[in-house]
Amino acid sequence: MKAKEGVLDLLYKVVTLELTAVHHYLLHASLCDNWGYERLHHEFHEHMTEETTHVSKVIGHVLYLGGRPDVQKLGAVSSGQSVQDLFNADLKLEQEDVTLLRDAIAHCAKVSDFTTRHLLEEMVVDSEEHVNWFETQLRTIAQVGLENYLGEQIKK
Amino acid sequence: MKAKEGVINILNKILTADLTAINQYFVHAKMCENWGYDRLHHKVRERSIDEMKDADELIGHILYLDGVPNVQRMNTVQIGETVPEQLKTDLKTEQEMLTLLSEGVAHCTKVGDFTTRHMLEDMAKDVDTHIDWIETQQELIEQVGLENYLSEQIHKEG
Repeated sequence: MKAKEGVLDLLYKVVTLELTAVHHYLLHASLCDNWGYERLHHEFHEHMTEETTHVSKVIGHVLYLGGRPDVQKLGAVSSGQSVQDLFNADLKLEQEDVTLLRDAIAHCAKVSDFTTRHLLEEMVVDSEEHVNWFETQLRTIAQVGLENYLGEQIKK
Repeated sequence: MKAKEGVINILNKILTADLTAINQYFVHAKMCENWGYDRLHHKVRERSIDEMKDADELIGHILYLDGVPNVQRMNTVQIGETVPEQLKTDLKTEQEMLTLLSEGVAHCTKVGDFTTRHMLEDMAKDVDTHIDWIETQQELIEQVGLENYLSEQIHKEG
């Protein structure tokens, strides 16, 4: 299959962002494990697995379209000293992801690449769920206080 | 736990090599899938997952040693355009990894960090298995010819 104009470039950007997300969650899962927050450790691990699935699907699709996926590039990976630092960084990344995916979906519709559009639409559902999850955690912290929130994260 | 001198640095180097290998194998697996080599697709993907587990373990151990894991850095990902090329670049990656791990094991012995040494030894064992597998494939291609070898990769085992 030959790719429609501009589609591969957008998919390359998606690969970079999703790979960055994988690295984010790999690190954040480990940090939470190290701090003793077992529940968060598992949540981040699940996020990582989802992002890995995304990378896999996009790379497969790039190859199908005759492109060459670039897995060398990586966006900035944020670390943090606290759970809130992690959540804020992750929320920002997921919001960027949603914006990129929406732009890509709009582009695919314009050039009539409905297979790619369909793939991206499935991904944006997951990304929006992630945004929602981080927003929920930050809101809960605001409502119950950080100590109470963290106390609940010790056990899965 | 406070890390012994030089240990964090070595662990981060291994982590970088691991993160690079994950991506390299990931793309190779996907390319094999795209070419229709189902067996290779699964084999190479498994290797990518192995490296991911190692990366996870390394990050956990660096944090345990109060170090800062570096997940930002990556070495050059070497993509092969054909199956033999992929085997060649993967072999090189694994051999480099083995060198790093061996250096790490020697250093840990010197400074008396036996927990890290034990972990690296486990990883070196996996790398040995990977190297062995790749060398076997290269030997097979040599013996049966590329076309016969590749046609056997179309179906997954089992």
